[in-house]
Amino acid sequence: MANPSDSSTPRGEAFVWFTGLGLIVGLGMVIGLLSLVILNGVTVFWAPQVPVAQVDDGRTIIGQLAQRRIRAGSPADHPRYELQYQVGLRELNGNSYLWVDEAKIKGETFPADVLGLERVENGPAFVRPQSLRQSDGKVIPATDAGFEAAFQAEVAAAAAVREKLIEITRHRIGDVNGEMDKARIALRRAEDLKLTEEIAALRKQIAGLEERFAALQAEAKKVTEGGAVASLVSKDAANREVVVPLTQVIRGWFPNRLDTWGRVKLFGSRLAEFVFDEPREANTEGGLMPAIFGTLVMTVFMSLLVTPFGVITAIYLREYAQQGAVLRIVRISVNNLAGVPSIVFGVFGLGFFVYVLGGSIDQLFFADQLKYNNNTPVFGTGGLLWCSLTLALMTLPVVIVATEEALAAVPRGMREASLATGASKWQTIRDILLPASAPGILTGVILAMARGAGEVAPLMLVGVVKLAPTLPFDGSAPFLHMDRKFMHLGFHVYDLGFQSPDSDAARPMVFATTLLLIFLVVCLNLGAIWIRNRLRARFKGASF
Amino acid sequence: METSDKKPSPAAAPESRFTVSPMTLAADRWMGRLIRFGGVGVVLAVFGMLAFLIFQVFPLFTGAKVTAVGSLTVPANAVAFGEDEYGDFPYVVLADGKVVFQQASDGKKAHEWSPALGALKVTAVRSYPRAGLIFLGLSDGSVQELRVAYRSTFDAAGKRAIEPVVTALPPVAIGKSGVPCQEVWNAKGPQSRLMLVRQEVAGKPLLTAVRLTERKGLGGKARVTVSAPFVVAADAASVEQVLLPSTAESLIVVGKSGEVRTYADDGETFSFLQAFVPFKDAKDPAVASAGMIFGNVSVVFVGRTGEQQVWSMYPQLQPDGKSLRRWGKIHDGETLAGAGEGVYAAEGNKCYLAVAGGKLQLRNMTTGSLRWEGDAPAGSIRQLAFAGNYDRFTALSADGKLHRWSIVDHHPESSWGAFFGKIWYEGATGPAYTWQSSAGSDEFEAKYSLVPLFYGTVKGTFYALLFALPIALTAAIYVSQFLRPEYRQVVKPVMEVMASLPSVVLGFLAGLWLAPLVDPRLISLFCAIGILAPAALFAGFLWSVLPQPVRRQVKPGMEFLWLLPFLALCAYLAWQAGPAVEAAFFTVKDTASGLPVADFREWWRQTTGATYDSRNSLVVGFVMGFAVIPIVFTIAEDALSNVPNSLVSGSLALGASRWQTVWSVVVPTAISGIVSGVMIGFGRAIGETMIVVMATGNTAVMESNPFSGMRTLSANIAVELPEAAAGHTHYRALFLGACCLFLLTFVINTLAEVLRQRLRERYKVV
Repeated sequence: MANPSDSSTPRGEAFVWFTGLGLIVGLGMVIGLLSLVILNGVTVFWAPQVPVAQVDDGRTIIGQLAQRRIRAGSPADHPRYELQYQVGLRELNGNSYLWVDEAKIKGETFPADVLGLERVENGPAFVRPQSLRQSDGKVIPATDAGFEAAFQAEVAAAAAVREKLIEITRHRIGDVNGEMDKARIALRRAEDLKLTEEIAALRKQIAGLEERFAALQAEAKKVTEGGAVASLVSKDAANREVVVPLTQVIRGWFPNRLDTWGRVKLFGSRLAEFVFDEPREANTEGGLMPAIFGTLVMTVFMSLLVTPFGVITAIYLREYAQQGAVLRIVRISVNNLAGVPSIVFGVFGLGFFVYVLGGSIDQLFFADQLKYNNNTPVFGTGGLLWCSLTLALMTLPVVIVATEEALAAVPRGMREASLATGASKWQTIRDILLPASAPGILTGVILAMARGAGEVAPLMLVGVVKLAPTLPFDGSAPFLHMDRKFMHLGFHVYDLGFQSPDSDAARPMVFATTLLLIFLVVCLNLGAIWIRNRLRARFKGASF
Repeated sequence: METSDKKPSPAAAPESRFTVSPMTLAADRWMGRLIRFGGVGVVLAVFGMLAFLIFQVFPLFTGAKVTAVGSLTVPANAVAFGEDEYGDFPYVVLADGKVVFQQASDGKKAHEWSPALGALKVTAVRSYPRAGLIFLGLSDGSVQELRVAYRSTFDAAGKRAIEPVVTALPPVAIGKSGVPCQEVWNAKGPQSRLMLVRQEVAGKPLLTAVRLTERKGLGGKARVTVSAPFVVAADAASVEQVLLPSTAESLIVVGKSGEVRTYADDGETFSFLQAFVPFKDAKDPAVASAGMIFGNVSVVFVGRTGEQQVWSMYPQLQPDGKSLRRWGKIHDGETLAGAGEGVYAAEGNKCYLAVAGGKLQLRNMTTGSLRWEGDAPAGSIRQLAFAGNYDRFTALSADGKLHRWSIVDHHPESSWGAFFGKIWYEGATGPAYTWQSSAGSDEFEAKYSLVPLFYGTVKGTFYALLFALPIALTAAIYVSQFLRPEYRQVVKPVMEVMASLPSVVLGFLAGLWLAPLVDPRLISLFCAIGILAPAALFAGFLWSVLPQPVRRQVKPGMEFLWLLPFLALCAYLAWQAGPAVEAAFFTVKDTASGLPVADFREWWRQTTGATYDSRNSLVVGFVMGFAVIPIVFTIAEDALSNVPNSLVSGSLALGASRWQTVWSVVVPTAISGIVSGVMIGFGRAIGETMIVVMATGNTAVMESNPFSGMRTLSANIAVELPEAAAGHTHYRALFLGACCLFLLTFVINTLAEVLRQRLRERYKVV
């Protein structure tokens, strides 16, 4: 470079390009992962065309294409592929999914009469309907023009029956069972203490409950029998006759007949089921409502715990504590807690919150319950409260750091002006510092929520379960049950993906759950980033 | 940060309109107190967390607490003892076969039982306290069995009283008739019971045994068949001590010269297995005392000068290439204070009590750790036995005293060595670092070495950093120094979104999506990744040799947009070329067809002899990159962009190119910030849990093979803690793992923080 005006390139430009590689790979990883999850998560609800495939060993397959992969053991330079079809009808086929060598498929057709069914038990089914027996006894052949409308009407009627049944069995009988458990514990106590009057009263109560239980069971039986009339007769791929009672059918669709709008409607209905319904079939089907609800309740409760403590600590560290070497050490330590692995907090939560705190609470307040209910712990086992506390402790440094930064960003002039007008220290904090740093604090809280919502490892130790029979929040006093175990989206992903007995059947559900979880966490994070950027813009102009 | 404590002083403003309202002052005071209290409380709680973890781990490293409960005076000719389950009602057997029961509380004699033997005399006594069995060896070579039971009765007032019952069974003729028994043993094998007597015939020892098979008759009454007596260990020149395991599957005879001969039950009799001399290198090879450890596969030998050795049965390679279970030395114990006077094994764990030189030492056989040491009673010990639940032990001394001790030892198997050292476990072929916390059998000894977990942690972290650091650091340099600012506004939030991805999602994708996907196309993936760096460098070189008008098309800070399609093309081509590369270099012969096939996985197995798992360290490293890259990137980018502009401008003004400026000015100035970012990334990778749980096989192996899995400290906790019983050694061992993780990450993060503060100081100077 003797002459700066000559056209030779500045030294090291190749390295500049090289560093660009890091950025590209990093961005590619994020975008690739997000698109993978979105693609796989969304297609779960989309109904594609369903082929009738002829295999050259004479078999016929009716099923939805699920995956394509390289056959195990095929040479890398000449890979052979195989296809996985979801054929459904687990009670007949033994397995819902089927791998077929791609080369052995002779031909595929898409006949319009293929019917997809989602069922209460035994997973989905793909069949070719023959006739429909309606609740009034009339039989409509599948070739009839009104068949589809009649079928959908019967499915809707059956859904109503099912709803009613759930209302009876789950809610009303569930309430009776709950009362019965309480009464039995009380009875055991009364018998132990020889309280004659109470024993009599409780026996009477239990007898009454048993009567109510029997009555409800009879009612449920009546409803079941009333709805069990309508059924669908159809043929499966092997031409076997399949009779499906319509009370078993949740949803039926003709995948090769649907127009785009029909598919969109089906998509919407499946999505709604996913978000608002309860899980079925060992969590591999149905909805996620308990998990979504559990995640939300836990996250909200965690932020209610972490915000006041985090903010108070930050105010103390910044406004009250004597600044010096000790405080610097304390500050570094608190900040570094953010880097301590989450599982360590889980271990602490189990050892301290569950066993020490929970155990003591049980000893103090639930001694009777322990004694007369086979030593079943109330708070001395994992639960919502301990999960919230553990995650609150884990996210505490996030809130402390964010609040401290926000307090530090408040211009000194504002603080001094307030004090100069005679406001007390607390008044300054309350009226000047906190409002000015509110967006910063909010950012911290949102980041804490995002971290809390996505964390699984500590929760596995302190109270998350794969299937909780009851929600942590319901109509029976005290409404919010902090001692209950609950379901969580993140744990749901882990459990479905790795503990599920039928991993093929669980796969679509895991992707959908993953999408939902990522959506939740990314939204929270983007919200925090947005607030932070606004905050920066606001303080840019406000330099005194 | 300045704190203003200037409160408006009420005294300085006498006029009431300048007086602060008492409410305001009170609120100020109370809120001040509340905030101080809350703040100090939270800070203390944070430190309390570490204290709690340490507090939970502490019991692992304390020894046993053994307290002498007291002693009972018993008849001086007592030769054996036994007791009930709670130790309230001990009994002693006198030399003449009399059984005397005493109250443990006051030593009062409560019951006495005498044998009815006629002309016969009792010449040997053995008591098995836990089974409540006493065997009397008689002067004619036969053996009488006594069974002790306790019956609880209630008197008229409803008070519970315990009444001992002794049942004598008819004598069984075992030894050579007419020769008195010197010693007698009994053990219960899987099919039959074995009774063994020792006699002396013509100055030579004679060991004779019978088998007793019990069959339930039709009436529910047990019928006992006694086999013909058979001589065992006839080839032993001398018999100093006989060890008969409680399962009767083998027999160990210690001779006078220190030679140990072992025999194995072959169904008929006992056949010779192996002979060895434990102290053959010592001046005096004699074995002073020996004791079989719980589990019946290990024996502790103590020599005349207090040296200890543990021998155990484990699979050993024989000259003919077969692997057979044979006796071999597995530990050299610490030397005791004097000649061994007795070795007594505990029940339910691998501890034993060694008596030597007037001291009692409670030791753990496996770890060799000394759990407790105390003074031995004055008289020599005739018999010593542990209670079944390892909470006390009792000893009968020759001066007619029954001494009792209580033990509090919740973690007999733990010690520093057990967690961090190489340990030779029973049945293993050598010392090893092993983590194996549970198995089906009761006699299984849990193994809690944290070393394989540390190894797995470091391995996972290494591969994660190997992948993440180049990407994160080059991206940080590019974004902070070269990228146009408007793009930076987009890139940083994207990286933050990456940081927020839940690790359970990453783990799921790694284990269930990525691992099976890359498994058959591994070489393609390597090619695609491997081509990226040279391709990027090549693109840069290509661009720099182009004429200036062409170069102007690429605006500074936009290079990556041009690089993107080029790299994508290169990666795609490399991916497609993968199978050809595999065919060229990684071909193996197919076992079924005999044809050569290109299969890297099989090639790896055959060439290196190592395993290949589809959920391997590389997959974990790649996916952990998602967790590590954004952290390292953010901190390094911050450090790099905070380098004062004056430095950059100065460098550029002196004629340095932008790369020269970055490489020689910006990076060296920000290096401590970059290092701190790397360290924090390291801390994150160490503690990552869900990715490792889901993307590896979680086997605690110590292999450097990149295609095998591992088990990390954090994954281990997540997998095992839900099943661990609170307060047990397993539970505390997992807490120890958590403690290590805490301290490790805390120290690393603190160092990183100190580095960053130093960096800030440096900027200040500039």
